[in-house]
Amino acid sequence: MHRVVVTGMGAVSACGLGAQALIEATQAGNSGVKSISFDDLDVQRVNTAARLSDADLASVEAQCANRMRDPVANYALMAAREAVAHAGLEAEHFGDACGVSIGSGFGGAQTLNRNYMKFSVEGSMRLDPMSVPKIMNNAAASWVSMEFGATGPALCLATACSSASQSIGMAWQMVALGQVDRCLAGGSEACLESGVFRVWELLRVMTADANRPFSKDRNGMTLGEGSGILVLETLESATARGAPIICELVGYGTNSDAKDLLRPNADRAVACMRQALKAAGLAPSDIGYVNAHGTGTVANDVNEITALREVFGNAFDTVKISSTKPVHGHALGAAGALELITAIGALQAQLAPPTINFNEVDPKINLDPVANTKQPIQTQAVMSNSLAFGGINATLIAKAYG
Amino acid sequence: MSTDRETLTKELMEMVAQEGMVDLSEITPEKRLEDLDIQSADFVMILMAIEEKWGAYISVDNELTDVETVGDLLNLAISKIEEHQAA
Repeated sequence: MHRVVVTGMGAVSACGLGAQALIEATQAGNSGVKSISFDDLDVQRVNTAARLSDADLASVEAQCANRMRDPVANYALMAAREAVAHAGLEAEHFGDACGVSIGSGFGGAQTLNRNYMKFSVEGSMRLDPMSVPKIMNNAAASWVSMEFGATGPALCLATACSSASQSIGMAWQMVALGQVDRCLAGGSEACLESGVFRVWELLRVMTADANRPFSKDRNGMTLGEGSGILVLETLESATARGAPIICELVGYGTNSDAKDLLRPNADRAVACMRQALKAAGLAPSDIGYVNAHGTGTVANDVNEITALREVFGNAFDTVKISSTKPVHGHALGAAGALELITAIGALQAQLAPPTINFNEVDPKINLDPVANTKQPIQTQAVMSNSLAFGGINATLIAKAYG
Repeated sequence: MSTDRETLTKELMEMVAQEGMVDLSEITPEKRLEDLDIQSADFVMILMAIEEKWGAYISVDNELTDVETVGDLLNLAISKIEEHQAA
């Protein structure tokens, strides 16, 4: 088995373009949540989302526009270009030695939504002839592989909110086994389209107020969008080409509840985190910060905190826990990547980012998170959780290199 | 109870019966939703119908965690509808 290191990171999110913009916003607690309205929706009860700013959207468009690409692929390309440049990868580092593993929950939502509207509202049969390649879930992964000539395995896991964490975990496995020397891994989501937004509204897990994970007055999540891509590499390969090493990816756990499509199961989240700790060879007390899945729904809060309490035992009172979703939103298939980058930012700065919008400890979970302001940590390792609809759990652990 | 409240309560009971696919005669405020076999998918249908008719948005979250009986649900719905109408 090879040691796996992170040598590059890239992000596109409501916090701006770039991994650094995401890290700075999560550290400062500057929310990317903005007002949102859809002309197609006669009825709109929720009026906020962590969407890209108009200026950032225009910038993505200017740098990536292609009539065969949906925004979901453009976001991934932007993040991948940044990660590759950050890692200093050159043409010789791709080919069969490089894989791509980029998940997405919805795939080409804009293309699908526009087609539906045109077909059903206008009754037009003149739909986008490139719809199939734009909508397919693996388009982002394929476009990234084409951009760089990465001819190793190209994967797209579509496992809802665990898509990105599992995609990174899968990349970690491929690199650790030596199947490839490196892999571009993460997730992408561009789901802020009228039809998608309305069905999230109907599921009633979104808040019409503000997203307040762990707070007694929490009342649901806020949708987000974007992409996060990391360059994972064998330690040998990174060292051989003299690449800067950001940190080591040491642990991955994943499992399934096999119980309920929507309701989470704490026992399975416990097993998932323990699997990741075992792979990392770390004790719970070695983890100084957990970037929680922390959607801000009561079901997730109760489930995840019950699980964390069980896993961390005596260390529960000292580990810093926060959810950064009120800052970058719940980016679904990109969530795990944005949050791992956020957690790595915390590891580098030795500062746990805050759970903003927090008002009051909830007796149901009795958790005092890192609330509203960042807090210092002294740690070598951080954890990030994704607990998805479909009962799919994933945990990643990053460790300082050295 | 004002006439408006009474009408609203009656309409809500009918809605719970229809969307929850339960016989209206079985529904009383004391009855536990669980005993009526009203599950999360039914909840979402009931809340969608409330939104369609009265425009009030109720998320399946904190507000619903303490709802156990038909009466609890009616009280929550009525307060949300009144809140919406006042806004």
